[in-house]
Amino acid sequence: MASLLLSALLLAAPASPAAPPADTITAVPAPLVVRKWYRPTHALLQTGGGLGMVTGGLGYAFVNNRIDADVLVGYVPKRFAGSALGVASIKLMYSPFRLRVAEQVQVLPFTIGGYYSYTHNTINSGASGQYPADYYWFSTDSRYGPFIGGRFTYLAPPIAATGTPRKLSFYYELGSNDLYIASYLTNRDGGLGIGQLLTLALGVKADF
Amino acid sequence: MSPLSTLRRWFRAAPLAILVLSLSGCDLLEFSPNDSRVPEEFTNLTQKNLAKLEANPLAPGDTLRFVFTGDSQQFYDEAEALVKSVNQQPDISFLLVAGDISDFGLAREMRWVDEKLRRLNVPYLTVVGNHDLIGNGRETYQRIFGDLNYSFVYGDTKFIMVDTNGREYNFNGQVPNMGWLKPQLANFDGARRQVVVAHVPPNDVDFDPALSVPYAQALRDTENLVLKMNGHRHSSSVGQPYDDGVTYVNSDAFSERTYMVVTVWGDREFRIKQVQF
Repeated sequence: MASLLLSALLLAAPASPAAPPADTITAVPAPLVVRKWYRPTHALLQTGGGLGMVTGGLGYAFVNNRIDADVLVGYVPKRFAGSALGVASIKLMYSPFRLRVAEQVQVLPFTIGGYYSYTHNTINSGASGQYPADYYWFSTDSRYGPFIGGRFTYLAPPIAATGTPRKLSFYYELGSNDLYIASYLTNRDGGLGIGQLLTLALGVKADF
Repeated sequence: MSPLSTLRRWFRAAPLAILVLSLSGCDLLEFSPNDSRVPEEFTNLTQKNLAKLEANPLAPGDTLRFVFTGDSQQFYDEAEALVKSVNQQPDISFLLVAGDISDFGLAREMRWVDEKLRRLNVPYLTVVGNHDLIGNGRETYQRIFGDLNYSFVYGDTKFIMVDTNGREYNFNGQVPNMGWLKPQLANFDGARRQVVVAHVPPNDVDFDPALSVPYAQALRDTENLVLKMNGHRHSSSVGQPYDDGVTYVNSDAFSERTYMVVTVWGDREFRIKQVQF
């Protein structure tokens, strides 16, 4: 049942693109291309947010494009972190509101989401037998955290031959991670401010 | 303007905007928690604090007084209280933190601690702790503070700061680096007495078991060694665990809300006062 529902959502996603302005469609109605269920709905490129300096990904949009699920791979050069890091991550986010501020410009003023990341190639992530059990309570390489953000979308005309809608979005995300939040929670007398916990991600997302 | 050319302009502008924001040193744009980029004012803190100390020299023969504490990890509320208290202490020259500046080996934590401790009226100096060596902490600590092993002379006292966190190197037999330490202990660099500061004490399970005996022996053989000072245990003590004439001092963590005011003079005379804050 659950998988049926998921398939339904996946199929529904491409069928509900932001409608392009009527005058941009060619005279001949384009055939609606049925997408394979696994075909991603968008690709993205971002920097920061703890997920890499250069981070690329693919993702899916569900529920009338209100929920995005993205898979990303990022890279941090050695000179910025002491070793060259590979960061694999997944993001899940929900954007309940959309404002059509111009014919071809849409704003998603509020996005809330969370991520999980795994970092490869840290210098000391603990060899087998290096530490007694539960020596450190946290993982060196696995991080998770929340974020909020927003998105500005340019609604491009669909591809004439196929009717596939296209969008190009800029997004930002203000987030944090489990370790920064833990540090904040153990200092309730003002030792740390919320602003000190924040990270920023900036990115572009292309729907196709 | 056609939609296509607008689109092209956006595509061209995006990488440029990202590049500009990255290069402008926007602190928020963090590539990883292991990202060790910090503003210049948070780099080479050991060197900067030593320069401050040098600018305020102690006359030869003068008694030296300093504050000893350790394990600031994640205790930011307590760090503020500590700074207020230490700033009331008369005639102290500097403050020593016996390692574990951070809890997770992350740059932001080391920076947060510095943002507290830079409000001290005196400079402070650190030795690296095991928590500072987690993940990419080893590189981060060196960028923000400085060398993992170093020494300095102030007045008549030479301080030797040594990385003893053997477990973080999976007990590779190289930490503490005896090849560095022994010549340091043998050469007073013009001082009259010595103090050795480290994080993990040699009688601890986190000290490389292959090196604890030679390490303790090297200290035993050192002339005019006033004190061997450690952190790690979050529990203060002063004693001679090896009954060999070497006095080992262990600091509390910031969370215990106590620190020590240490006074040294003569060849190897000392007095230690515990202060609550």
